[in-house]
Amino acid sequence: MFRFLVRRVFGALVILLIISAVTFWLFYAIPRDPATLSCGKNCTPDMLAQVRHNLGIDHPVPVQYWYWLKGIFVGRSYGDFGNCSAPCLGYSFANREPVLGTIMDRLPLTLSLAFGSAVVFLIFGIGAGMLAAVKQGKWQDKVASSASLVASSMQIYFVGYIAMYFFVAKLGILDNPSYTPLTQNPIEWASGLLLPWLVLALIWTANYTRMTRSQLVETLSEDYVRTARAKGLSRRNVFFRFAWRGAMGPIVTIFGIDLATLIGGAIITETVFSLQGVGQLALKSVDQSDLPMVLGVTLLSAGAIVIFNIAVDAVYALIDPRIRLA
Amino acid sequence: MSFSRRNFLIATGVAAASTTVLSACSSGSDSKGSSKVPSVSGAKTMNIPVGTKADSTGPAPEVTGAVKGGTVYSLDQFDMDHLDPAQIYVSTEGAITRPILRGLTGYKVDDKGGATLVGDVATDAGTMKDGGKTWSFTIKDGIKWEDGTDLSMDDVRHTFERLFAPFVTEGPRYVQQWLVGGDKYKGPYDGKKLSSIEISGKTITFTLTEARTDFNYTLGMPGYGLVNKKNDTKEKYDKRPYALGPYKIDSRSIGKSMTYVRNEHWDPATDSIRNAYPDKYIFQFGFQPVASTDRYIADKGNDQYAMSIFNEVAAERTAQVLTNASLKKRVLTQVDTVTYYWPINMTRIKDLKVRQAINWAWPHQQLQTIRGGASTSELASTILSPVTPGYKDFDLYGVTTKPGGDPAKAKALLKEAGKVGQKLVIAYQQSDNAVKQAVAIKNALEAAGFQVVNQQVDKTTFYTQIGKIDNGYDLFAAGWSPDWPNGYSVFFPCWSGKNIGDGRSNYAQLNDPSVNKAIDAAAKIADVEEANKAWGAIDKQIMELAPVVPDYHSIRNWMYGSKIGNVVYDAGNTCVALCKLYVKK
Repeated sequence: MFRFLVRRVFGALVILLIISAVTFWLFYAIPRDPATLSCGKNCTPDMLAQVRHNLGIDHPVPVQYWYWLKGIFVGRSYGDFGNCSAPCLGYSFANREPVLGTIMDRLPLTLSLAFGSAVVFLIFGIGAGMLAAVKQGKWQDKVASSASLVASSMQIYFVGYIAMYFFVAKLGILDNPSYTPLTQNPIEWASGLLLPWLVLALIWTANYTRMTRSQLVETLSEDYVRTARAKGLSRRNVFFRFAWRGAMGPIVTIFGIDLATLIGGAIITETVFSLQGVGQLALKSVDQSDLPMVLGVTLLSAGAIVIFNIAVDAVYALIDPRIRLA
Repeated sequence: MSFSRRNFLIATGVAAASTTVLSACSSGSDSKGSSKVPSVSGAKTMNIPVGTKADSTGPAPEVTGAVKGGTVYSLDQFDMDHLDPAQIYVSTEGAITRPILRGLTGYKVDDKGGATLVGDVATDAGTMKDGGKTWSFTIKDGIKWEDGTDLSMDDVRHTFERLFAPFVTEGPRYVQQWLVGGDKYKGPYDGKKLSSIEISGKTITFTLTEARTDFNYTLGMPGYGLVNKKNDTKEKYDKRPYALGPYKIDSRSIGKSMTYVRNEHWDPATDSIRNAYPDKYIFQFGFQPVASTDRYIADKGNDQYAMSIFNEVAAERTAQVLTNASLKKRVLTQVDTVTYYWPINMTRIKDLKVRQAINWAWPHQQLQTIRGGASTSELASTILSPVTPGYKDFDLYGVTTKPGGDPAKAKALLKEAGKVGQKLVIAYQQSDNAVKQAVAIKNALEAAGFQVVNQQVDKTTFYTQIGKIDNGYDLFAAGWSPDWPNGYSVFFPCWSGKNIGDGRSNYAQLNDPSVNKAIDAAAKIADVEEANKAWGAIDKQIMELAPVVPDYHSIRNWMYGSKIGNVVYDAGNTCVALCKLYVKK
């Protein structure tokens, strides 16, 4: 296990390095000048040159990348704009703040949104999928399958506004979406995020219902499951000890990627519910051509996917004994 | 005041010192005005007079029924780009900093919807000598910074000297241009002083290169707010300015939220402009106009105590809100001083008849429909807004008679000029509404015989692009609102040949000797009425040359929660007057 983790972490670092280099090059190669945007409307050529120097963008792109990489380990000075201590992921000329600080400020909301909705959609999605698989062909299966089809065809920007209108404005049974840190007030944290969790989960639950059902239906028809039943094991025992574990592998894989995607920023959800998480930060940064911030958010997203992939591989071995980490 | 790169999208966050507080301005709480659709042309122009020493003496008059305490929230889409006063040139930034920053002069809002220019930290609105070439202001006693230290004359001098520092790139440039020696001065950070600023006791005297009888109005702009020398962190001051007003910044997360708490060192006796009823302001950002409007309609929880600086009623909800009497009660409607227009590049479209043809063909009415109809804007035929002093009513190109455009007349003009099939490159910003408008404009101009090429321009660099002398565009969207109540702050920056250059705001690059001469002459007229007549005549003189298509004057609608009291307009910032609000018990 230890060797597996070391190898995967090393591999992950190489992947992140490649992603950062490609992203860096892509963003800095496009014809947008952060110095012009930062310098303002009364900018003179001398001032522009000074801003370029302060931002470190008066060097060739490979040199800029090297400085950026170095900044992660030893920090970096941006002249009159200020210092960015290690680990420095860059400096946002639009916010006039280090990138990492801004991302860390937004991350708790996004994590709360991602994990909270994940709990909801896993419980309901896997639950409904299991029910549909066990009751295959019966009314429960038909209801679950139809409902998941309807739900998966919904869009958050549609369901979100309707849910806000009914549950907040009309009926008043839910609070306006907001974020209170969990450590500050757990009840306000949950009540402020309940509506986004439910709306986000509604869409994702449908996917997990359909996926769980199809995986379970397939596993339940496997020879080893029939053998287990033939040997006299109870239906419940066979389902949970053999069929369920066998079906969960692909679901765990997809869940790892889905969760990482959510952590990278649920842009539409955050926009619909006016929540200031990583998603809105990414959107605003793109809008403002704030390239250092876009780079930071891209790396966060890539990092989340890489980390969750490692976690998924480890969990895979735990739930399916046929797989060995080597 | 021009639009910042970002704020053009929001279109209303433009103006600085407004000239007017209007009869068409109506808060929803005024039941008399609530049934009428406001109109720009129906609004009365009102000059902001200069107040007396008594008007400048605090405390500010009490607001009837107001009580102290509570928290005011805001629901807005964007955080402010700048808080350093020297960098402030956008009305929303001026409005949000009103509770924390103070200047030498400022606008005192009264309970009748009017405003007066008064001394803010100065004892009065200034004393002029040499016909306006020398101005003196005496500072009141007892004015303290948020750390309890006194406002010193060194702070006052430093405020104006640092305007010349290289990092100050966004704020107004009037004072820098007018102070004697300003052309060579590089700021105070190398220890040098500007000799045209003199300090004597508690009096500061400015010596100007030209007579500016309106200099005290200029200093009322938020861009000339005072800066604490000891705590001047240069570029970083933009994130956290030092407070002199009744509130100070308690916390700020850029792009997300900002909180003001009371500045216990502020003495109301020194301030005739600001009331300070709420204990706290919590500004929240990231709300799309539709989201904020929906929350105001729902009026739940803290949203009952909320208002917006930036967000107006969303276009999608305008009809719903303005036709519902109970919702409309919570809307502040205000006619704005800004005129939105499309400058025609005079260096590329040199034929007068071609420019006139563009004007005749313009689809004013279709564009108004796209913007949300008559409740949010009125068609423009002049450069000055009807609510700006000096406005002269004329319509040279049939805006009122043919609001949908007159393609036949335009085509005839093109034929006369021998330019049928004239190519026009139109630049506009990337946004949903702009794309819709660009299509309508293209169709209308092509029906008149033009060949149109529409070019979307990245909105973050739009003004940089159209501000270039050699920009490659024939026609582009822009707009302007007066910085203080006279025509100079419209016509000099935008239409004088002296203000042509990269990054300058004479986007059409109009350089007509007779117009330049008329602007220079009008700027020297001391009599307000005579000056206003001259500015009105200049407006018509320019429109005869057709270097621009005036598009519309805007009508703004801000909604707010049911437990916010006294939501009134601040003519000085063309925004909601934060310092006049209170929380209802």
